[in-house]
Amino acid sequence: MVVAGRQKSIAFFIALGAGLICVIILLYVGWVLLNWRHGILLVLGALLMTAIVSGVVLNTIFLVHEIRRNAQHDAFINAVTHELKTPIASIRLYLETLQTRAVDDAKRLEFYRIMVDDSERLLGTIEQVLRTGRIGASSRRLNLSRIDLGGVIEQSVLRVRALHKVPPEGLQYRAGAPVTIVGDADEVQAAVSNLIDNAVKYSGSDVRVTVETARVDGNYVALRVTDHGPGIEKTELKRIFKRFYRVPGALATRVKGTGLGLYIVRSVAKRHGGRVWAESEGPGHGATFVLRLPIVK
Amino acid sequence: MSRILVVEDEQHLAEGLRFNLEAEGYQVHVVDTGEAALEALGPESPPFDVVILDVMLPGIDGFAVMSEMRHGGQFVPTLMLTARGHPDDVLRGFAAGADDYLTKPFELAILIARISGLLRRREWLRASMNHVTEPLAGPPPGPDETFTFGDKSMFFDRLELHVRDQVFPLTLMEANVLRYLIRHEGKPVSRKMMLEEVWGLHEDTDTRAIDNFIVRLRRYIEDDPTHPRHLLTVRGVGYRFVATSQP
Repeated sequence: MVVAGRQKSIAFFIALGAGLICVIILLYVGWVLLNWRHGILLVLGALLMTAIVSGVVLNTIFLVHEIRRNAQHDAFINAVTHELKTPIASIRLYLETLQTRAVDDAKRLEFYRIMVDDSERLLGTIEQVLRTGRIGASSRRLNLSRIDLGGVIEQSVLRVRALHKVPPEGLQYRAGAPVTIVGDADEVQAAVSNLIDNAVKYSGSDVRVTVETARVDGNYVALRVTDHGPGIEKTELKRIFKRFYRVPGALATRVKGTGLGLYIVRSVAKRHGGRVWAESEGPGHGATFVLRLPIVK
Repeated sequence: MSRILVVEDEQHLAEGLRFNLEAEGYQVHVVDTGEAALEALGPESPPFDVVILDVMLPGIDGFAVMSEMRHGGQFVPTLMLTARGHPDDVLRGFAAGADDYLTKPFELAILIARISGLLRRREWLRASMNHVTEPLAGPPPGPDETFTFGDKSMFFDRLELHVRDQVFPLTLMEANVLRYLIRHEGKPVSRKMMLEEVWGLHEDTDTRAIDNFIVRLRRYIEDDPTHPRHLLTVRGVGYRFVATSQP
């Protein structure tokens, strides 16, 4: 319902803009027909009209853009609310259970494990949001050091395996030649983690993810994360890196997320002089994410 | 033992709820999608006494599940449990037909108190129904809760429709719809009127849910359901019941 309302207001503004432009053109054509003898005024009028038309067009584009952004921002607030409240609700439920009921030892240990998992999830969301804030503040300088990329990937793979309880054969790391890059260790770690975490998260029950590294023309290293998940529409390949953006549809409700992960990856890649992009043959064919970073020679 | 259906896709929460509700002595069934919930609440499945319904579900969401339940004549007391605590969301939940609404994170004791409140209300309603004979859809058409038309007799007290020597057991909602139509015999009744009077729902949405009931009723009372003679369609309005068979 809310979405339909927004679509309507977008349509209204586009119609308004188009209507105004038509009125101006009609007025101008009329004016030219009436005053075709006044050459200089004609030129002046043409310039003025061009200015007005482009002003209205720009205004319309801006409005539509803002409405879209607003919608995405709302969706983000909803997603974050859910991602923050759900683990807290769960932790609280288990704490109250332990407080009020006689629970046998096996159950108690299970409850502790669940609470630890939930606090991990909560921490993950909070870190994601804080990191987006830090990246947004472009004045913050990178804390540069030499990083062994293989080590970073190794760590991320282990962490994601533990978090999603994936067996080693479900998430494989095929290390290439050792590579050293210069960058902010914390940010590179976050970017690599996000890519691997996404691949596993969106795979559903059939997790077959491979992580590989390879040198590209001597100056770059490419980290490829390939999954056999739901795949990505061609039209969405670029958009998914936008801040707050989540592909609309059932998948976004099945897989919970804030719409920040890939935005962080893209920002980190840019800040390190690299690039990230997605490749997919379309829905049902899985996807590959490539992160390319410059290496130290 | 009261049976509770928990519709929750967050596994941790679902299991925590199951543990606590079972400790309270309830029988708990957990499903993780709206589609599975509607199936579990269908007429073929054993009935539940209370439903706990999450909003953010994969596939169809909790609000849609809620209104689909109510339109389908499923009136089990339902508590919506969700992270969305904005007044608009709460109102939307109640408009869809929720009996209670609780936002996450919640206090366990409060949740349990609300569930037992819903169950208690259900028991009281049952107790009072035994005293008051007047059903939801107004006074009965006949003195002894029976209505005969042609070679068919409807026994509202037993929810049975006798057609010649055949006996069809009707659900309470089917009987209520039929009762409402019989009360307005000969006059056209709109779908909206039926929704309001029989279901007690005041919604502007144009619903086709009633049509399913009509299709089922026709199967019972019409000799040829494709050419109805008692339960006639009034185009653009709704339906009309006539006792004397129309040619």
